[in-house]
Amino acid sequence: MKAKIYMVFLVLLALAPACKKTLDVPPMNIVQDKDIFSNSSGIMAYMARIYSELPIEDFKWNPTTGFKSFFYGSPYAITGEAISRDQQNTTETFGYWSDAYSLIRECNYFMETLPNYADNFSATQVNNWLGEARFIRGLTYFALVKRYGGVPIVNKVLTGAGKGIEDISDSIDAYKIPRSSEEAVYDSAASDLDFAYANLPETNQQGRANRYAAAAFKSRAMLYAGTIAKYNTITLMSGSTQVCGIPAAKANDYFKAAYDAAALLDGKYSLYKKSWSPTDKSAQAQNFANLFLDASSPENIFIREYHYPDAAHWYDANQIPRQLWSGGYSSETCPTLDFVEMFEGLPKNADGTFKTLDSTGHYILYNDLSGPFVNAEPRLRGTIIFPGDVFKGQSIEIRRGIYTGSVNGGISKLLPAGSTSPYPTTNLVSSATDAQTAYTLPDGTKMNPAGLSGYFTNTSGAAGCISGFTIRKYLDPNKPTAEVTTNHSDQSWIEMRYAEVLLNQAEAAYELYSAGQGADYEATALKDLNLIRERAGATQATLADMTSINIIREERRKELAFENKTWWDLKRWRIIDKEQDGRIYRILNPIYSSLAGKYFFDDRFDERNSRYTFDPRWYYEQIPQSAIAKSTNLVQNPGY
Amino acid sequence: MKHIINYLAFCLIITLGISCSKKIDNYAGPTETLKGSIIDSNTNQTLQSEVSGDNGKGTRIKLLETSWSDNPTPLYLATKQDGTFNNSKIFAATYKISAEGAFVPLVQTQSDGTVIVDKSQTVTVKGGTTTVNFTVEPFLEVEWVGDPILNSDGTITANVKITRGTANPDFQSDITDVNLFINNTEYVGNNNYDNRYAKHINYNGANGNNILGDTLSLTTTNGALPKGRDYFVRVGARINYGLKQYNYNEPKKVTVP
Repeated sequence: MKAKIYMVFLVLLALAPACKKTLDVPPMNIVQDKDIFSNSSGIMAYMARIYSELPIEDFKWNPTTGFKSFFYGSPYAITGEAISRDQQNTTETFGYWSDAYSLIRECNYFMETLPNYADNFSATQVNNWLGEARFIRGLTYFALVKRYGGVPIVNKVLTGAGKGIEDISDSIDAYKIPRSSEEAVYDSAASDLDFAYANLPETNQQGRANRYAAAAFKSRAMLYAGTIAKYNTITLMSGSTQVCGIPAAKANDYFKAAYDAAALLDGKYSLYKKSWSPTDKSAQAQNFANLFLDASSPENIFIREYHYPDAAHWYDANQIPRQLWSGGYSSETCPTLDFVEMFEGLPKNADGTFKTLDSTGHYILYNDLSGPFVNAEPRLRGTIIFPGDVFKGQSIEIRRGIYTGSVNGGISKLLPAGSTSPYPTTNLVSSATDAQTAYTLPDGTKMNPAGLSGYFTNTSGAAGCISGFTIRKYLDPNKPTAEVTTNHSDQSWIEMRYAEVLLNQAEAAYELYSAGQGADYEATALKDLNLIRERAGATQATLADMTSINIIREERRKELAFENKTWWDLKRWRIIDKEQDGRIYRILNPIYSSLAGKYFFDDRFDERNSRYTFDPRWYYEQIPQSAIAKSTNLVQNPGY
Repeated sequence: MKHIINYLAFCLIITLGISCSKKIDNYAGPTETLKGSIIDSNTNQTLQSEVSGDNGKGTRIKLLETSWSDNPTPLYLATKQDGTFNNSKIFAATYKISAEGAFVPLVQTQSDGTVIVDKSQTVTVKGGTTTVNFTVEPFLEVEWVGDPILNSDGTITANVKITRGTANPDFQSDITDVNLFINNTEYVGNNNYDNRYAKHINYNGANGNNILGDTLSLTTTNGALPKGRDYFVRVGARINYGLKQYNYNEPKKVTVP
């Protein structure tokens, strides 16, 4: 009997939890939608996450390891702007795909969920935030389309409200969305950015988008689309969808869209000229260097902020000239002579190459290291550090070695022009590392063969400059040496600045002009170009100079160098396979003649003979095999 | 104790039972042979290419196994430099086979999705050796004009004539560059050459088209070639189309005494 009573009791106990509704609550240790979407600090946290995932090629982008990576090396050494001891010829290989679709889903989820909580906020707030989500989604599609061509467009949360992946796994085949056309993805990015422009505020918190950021990125994206339509020769069909290539007839529409989007920023931003002077070249150079470090620059349209110690990068440690390092890394970006030659104010031969020889074929001798560079274009001086330039109070000493041979009748070239051979070791004293044996000069003083910042002949073993130049752009001149270490830099990355918008407009305008759309476009292109040149301290162009699109392209390469833009430009212009076809980039070696007591400069091929070849397949990156394995409806790009 | 032994024995039997009960996954390896040639429709010779991997350099064979899916993931086979291929480890199945390389595409799709040309071949690979040949129109014909010459200064000169290989204007893009490739094995081409001596001529815009039909003379660069060895040379040229693959003439040997 007693046992039966217990049984009844047990049965009742078993039933009890089932009807106790108050216990049916979501887990308290998991953040719910209502916690996030019903207050502005929750929204802020969501925004912080999606902004941090935004695919921009900043200080932490490395072509082989991805966004947000910590690395030594230099991504600028894939374009020919620079060479690096730790970065060779490559394309982007990390396969940006699943992170992109996670981010797109987060944007979609935000857009679908926020309206349910709209009562908590003003209509303006809600629209601003929706604009931000569209801005981020648009940039993500742009990041995909510039890599792969057409990709699947997913503009809603596929699982539906309140459901998870397990709810759709039975019908998973319906979710294997094929690639849209390249054109459709650019259009999708454009409509996201149009929405963002219409809904974002005039100004926003630092690091977040305002409406003009949306317009500026639209000008970039549409310019890319226009150049693909005009210059691409690779096509791929997936059924009736052109996933690689855009019909040439669309080019002008895209160039017009780029032009119009850029015009929306007229009068809203201006070129940074805080310490600029029309007459003082060194002020112009200093102004250009300051532009990248002044948080209050009126040129900054969209930046990504960093903050030591929780969000830091390695930029200064990677780029600092060797003599200012704190051990570990330095001089990873060594600008090539090919890059430097694009600028004005340097001694040049008739063919535009750097002039190192006098009319008799002997080296020109200079009293000091900075000799050939004293009149260099101010923008170049603000972009790179020449041998003999002063940085952080030190004269940056870059010397290849000491020439001990005779100087009677002049010094002949050490190697025949165009030679890829090593220097003859007779008459040239070099140093393998920074542990140097000083050479005794004829006057009895001692001099190290290599400069304090290089060149050290053991290029893979000793961190030193290997091209004769090092980089100045973004380098913080006020950072104490002890802090020039990994994970210690926190200057902001300027992803979009007004100079690029002007160049976007100039390029679109010139393309429209050359397609017969009117001479007004040519005038605008010239006006924009000259605004850039004036600030740069370069000669103003005239209509007579506007002979081809190359004048705009070269200006863009000079202005936006070392900002991870050139790689994408060279690709969309479809010229990098011609520029990099077994190419060795050139360098400029300062050499001290012990008998003359003067410097001469030798232009030659990179002594490591590092060759660059761009495989035309790389115009469209390989879609990750793992993505195709999940969805066989994804067609691989040509050649992979 | 006995319980434990029984228990362990039981576990062992279960484990063994699972691991060897069925042979679901144990198929025989591929045994069929697929071979053939890529034939130049102008010369009726095999079309010279690079030693290709299956990764897009040089000519490659594309297999779509249609026996079990309408939408298969393509499988690619490498071809030899001389324009032939031979793969002896193919699974028996029905394949839709085509080739990709420096020639007018065998499958062409219009922008509205209409397939206007489809010269792919649907073949059942079964019962030993299957031969599949493709006749193609190369973008460019590169022909030798006489044998390569060893000059008195120790360089090598190759004379070639380059002409269009197709009359189809869609595939007559501008010639972008012509290269004299040199190597010390017969495997020579854009993928495999001695860049110290190779001669590279670049053309801008339509300038390259002026060489069509003329005898073009290319000489190795960078001075005399090292003596006492054999060199293999050939010329490659390409147009500004697609993946910009090269058309070649056949390699020839030059002995530098």
